[in-house]
Order: sequence, then C-alpha cells, then structure tokens
Amino acid sequence: MRGLQLSLDKGQKLRFERAFEVLESLSSKSNSDASVIVADDISVNNEDSILKGHGTAEMNDRLVATLCGVVERVNKLVYVRPLRARYKPEIGDIIIGRVIEVAPKRWKLEINFSQDAVLMLSSMNLPDGIQRRRTAVDELNMRSIFEENDVICAEVRGFQHDGCLHLQARSQKYGKLKRGQLLTIPPYLVKKRKQHFHHLDQYGIDLILGCNGFVWVGEHVEVRDDMIEDLSDKSEQQKVKSWNTMGDEEVQEAYTLDTRQNICRSANAIRVLSTLGFTITVEIITEIVELSKSMDLDVHEMLGAEFYVIVAEKEAERRSLPTKRR
Amino acid sequence: MDLTFQLFMYVLAAMVGLSLGEQTFIKGGIDQDLRTDGRKRLTYRPIFVETGIIPQASGSARVKLGATDVIASVKAELGRPNPSYPDKGKVSIHVDCSPTAEPSFEGRGGEELSTELCSALERCLLGGKSGAGAGIDLSSLCIVRGKVCWDLYIDGLVVSSDGNVLDALGAAVKAALSNTAIPKVQVSANAPSDEQPEVDVSDEEFLQFDTSGVPVIVGRHYIADATTEEESQMSSAVSVSINRQGRICGLTKRGGAGLHPTVILDMISAAKHVSEQLMNKLDSEIAAAEACDEMES
Repeated sequence: MRGLQLSLDKGQKLRFERAFEVLESLSSKSNSDASVIVADDISVNNEDSILKGHGTAEMNDRLVATLCGVVERVNKLVYVRPLRARYKPEIGDIIIGRVIEVAPKRWKLEINFSQDAVLMLSSMNLPDGIQRRRTAVDELNMRSIFEENDVICAEVRGFQHDGCLHLQARSQKYGKLKRGQLLTIPPYLVKKRKQHFHHLDQYGIDLILGCNGFVWVGEHVEVRDDMIEDLSDKSEQQKVKSWNTMGDEEVQEAYTLDTRQNICRSANAIRVLSTLGFTITVEIITEIVELSKSMDLDVHEMLGAEFYVIVAEKEAERRSLPTKRR
Repeated sequence: MDLTFQLFMYVLAAMVGLSLGEQTFIKGGIDQDLRTDGRKRLTYRPIFVETGIIPQASGSARVKLGATDVIASVKAELGRPNPSYPDKGKVSIHVDCSPTAEPSFEGRGGEELSTELCSALERCLLGGKSGAGAGIDLSSLCIVRGKVCWDLYIDGLVVSSDGNVLDALGAAVKAALSNTAIPKVQVSANAPSDEQPEVDVSDEEFLQFDTSGVPVIVGRHYIADATTEEESQMSSAVSVSINRQGRICGLTKRGGAGLHPTVILDMISAAKHVSEQLMNKLDSEIAAAEACDEMES
C-alpha cells in the first residue's frame, strides 16, 4: 500500500483496517511456511545436493534468504521468488512500450524493465501488408510507422545473448495504440494469463493489460485478421486505408462522451486497485466499474477516500467467498 | 484563436513524452469537461496536509496534491529592518527542487524552475515594494521601529512533482505560516532589546492568502490543477493569488503564447470562484492537521 495518502475519517479508517485484517487472515492460511523475510533460514536437508538459486546465500553452513518472498523448490534448485519485483520478461509475454528512439533498422522501446527493448524492423508488418525483404527505403520510412513517444503493443520474441530483449509485432492485434490513455502500475499486479487483450463490449472499450505494468485503456478498435481476408478485397482496402493520412484523421476524431466516461471510469478503477495493491484482472475491473455506476458516483469521486474503503471491503468479501474454481 | 499547436514544454525536460493519440485524448477530455482522471476542468485533486513535521523550524507543513508533494518551513530570526522601511519586517523566500522529483533537477538542473517558483511566490506573498496588497502583513513583524524586527525565512522543497507545483507550494507556505510559533519579545526600556522568549502558539498575523494556478488553454479551454501530462500540452498559464477578502494579491503569467485580455479576465473570475472552495478545503485540512498534531504531542 505504498503511497496511499487518504484523509480517512474515524469510521472509514475502522472499516478500512477491518477489511485489510480480513484479507491478511485469508492470505496467511496458504503459503505461510514458504514465506520468508530477509535472513530467515531456509530449511534444507543437508544431505541432498542443493543448488542455491536467486535470493539465497550461504552463511555459517545455513541457507539464508536475502529477499522477502516465497521459497520455491524446483527439483534440486531452491530459490526465493520476491513478492514485489521488477518486471521479469518471458518469451510470449504481451507488453506495452513507448518508443524512445528510432535507430537503424530498429526501434528502441521503454518497457519498465532494466533495459530498453528492441523492436526490429523485420519483426514488424509493413504498412502495405506484403511480406517482403526490407529495403533501404523501408528503413528511411520507419518514422511513418512508429515515431518517438508512440505507444506500442508487442510480444516478447526472445533474448539476445547480451541480455537485450527483442520484441515482435507481426500480428494485427499488435501495433500502435492510438485512442486512449496509458497507465502505469506495479508489474507484479498483472499475472500471466491466457488473454491480455480484453474487449469490454458493454462499454465499447479495449483493455490491454501489459505484463510489464503498462495498461492501455482505450476506445475499441476493430482488428482485422489478415489471414481470413479475401485476397480480392485486399487491393480495395489498400486504396481505402493509406497509413499516413488516415492515421492522423482517425486520431483526431472526437470521442463520444459515453466512451470517454467509460474509459475514465476503467482507468480510475485500475488506479484504485493498483494503489490498494490488489491483483488486476478484467473481472475485478468490470466489477468495480459496475459498482461505481450502481452507486451513481461521479467519475472523479472514484478516487476519493470513501470509494477506496468500499473497494477494500468488496475485495475482502470476494476473497472470503469459497473459491469454486481458480 | 487556436493555440493548440503552440506547445510550451514547461521546464520539466526529463518528463516522458506523449504520443499523438494520448495528446488528443487529453485535449478532447478538456474540451468535453472530463479529464483523464474524471475531474472537471476546475476541480482540484484531493489535498492532504500535515503540519509541524520539522520540529527545529518555527513552523512547517507538508502538502500532497495528488502525486505532487512539497514541504515548506518557516524560520523566524531577529534582524534589523530595511532603512527605507523601518517599521516593516523582512520575509525571504527560497524554493529548492529536489532531484527526487525529477532526475533533471540534479545539480543545477532545477535552478530555472526554482527561481521561477521563488519569484512567483514572492509576487504573491509580498506584493509590491512597499508591501501594499501583500499576503503577509509586514508591519506586524516589526518589534522596535528602525532597530529590531522579525526576519522570516520561508523555504520550500519540492519532493515530488506531478504538475501544479506552484499551488502546492502556496498551500504549504500558508499551512506552515499558520503553524508558525513566534516567541513574544519583551523590549526593555533602555538600550537595545532584551528578549524573553515565550512561545506564542499559532501566529495569525498574516492575511489569509491563497494561490490558484490556472493553467491555460489546452485548446480553447482552461483548467485548474494540471497534472504533468496536461502541463506538457499547455501553451500558457496564469497564476492568481487571492486573499480571503477576494482581492488579488499577485498575478503571474507564464508561458510563451499570448493571451487575449478577455481571456485573462475570464480566468481571474474563474480563479476567484475556485479559490473560495480551495481556501475552505485548505482551512479545514490545516485545522485537521493541527488537531492531529496536538493530539500526538
């Protein structure tokens, strides 16, 4: 609950603390033997040959934790997985990044990681959709695809031998994100799921939960799948959609008040959840947006003290319900 | 008059840039009176005040306006008054931008912003050279005419900046001043004064003032209390300092774009309206903070 600065009155404080007590009591039932804090002993059977992984250190013949976290054991490897860690990329992760530099044949993106990620020109679909070799002209026109400060959604392709992260954005669902707002939340609040792209139909908005802690909330954009398209239609569509001019006009169109309200409500829901430190999933976000709508709260009041308390209570309630499926 | 394309990058150079889509979103939001966090154009973020955080100072306060965090402290010392104003005390203001707020503030990077905030605060608090129309009544700082007066040293520290630092500083200075305890001074009849300090709690000698920064036109509308992203899109800003009686104590225009006079008058009236609410909110927060403080000590 870092940085939580709310002026709660007596009643609200009580309810808030009670909700958090409930949450703490629920969480400590599982995993309490595996959680360690710094300098705790990790119980190992000294006869087995154990590999000492991250977050452990040997002191005086004992294995001691150097991080606060949960002890994980994989075959012979013992390591401590920290609870609040910097984002750790894995292959196949969906992430959102911001272009900070246009370099020869690649874009450098900032992704809330210790290094900047690289998106190669060859890992990106060309505007005309044809699969061909990238020429020097393509390289010169890189800025027409992505510029500095653009927000891009991509997938982690792999690591280079020097630790540099490579991304790819070949599918139609990846690419530049135009209409909406970008939020930054602590990366450990976004768990790896099957789906990170969510289309909230009832609100008409797109929600992309990047694994690196960048979350995009924006107006819904229709995604055309190249494979399904008829080849005969393609030439027509190319005439209709030319990247440069159409792109700007699309961006400048006004939002309807409804869509904007929904976007702001979802964004505020995410802000509240991230300040309270609750894991973020689409279900929770939709619940909170519904809650705020049913309470007839002004969008701005979602960031007020009362709503925080209500969200905390609701979460405590939700977790104390018997979990039917995980 | 479309000022949308005259972007003024207001000093915060290391700030993350915004893509065209995000900029459109922000501007459209301001046009439709629904900003990115749901606020209306003239709504302020929640303010959080703590007083008495620096025990060595005569008075201190910390104000959090959303993610903007500033600390102000007041130190009172005895000194000689200025010969041209023998019955007025002296106030000196200094603002320091800490590198924790922005990496670009390290070393001399924050100096430009510091001096700008300094001069804006001085203009609001001290008024003209003669002290007329000032937020602080300097004649109440005088002890012995021509010989001894109180020197107030007001220091501000920007711990974290997320837009609208000037307002936060103004609120912090106000809170710090209301938290200031200046000792009573007894002057012995003969030669230079003898002091018998008795701590006088809650010094109220100043006119209650208030600064409302009203950043201008992102598009055709103006907003109050901008976040860093909104500030990056603004073309100019006007800060109005208003006291409890609704009079203007100081006025500062920042930014490179020119403004039509009617726009400025509009903004002044908007500022008056906003400042009333802000003043009340601040007063209640300061009172709550002081009550908290007393309970703890």
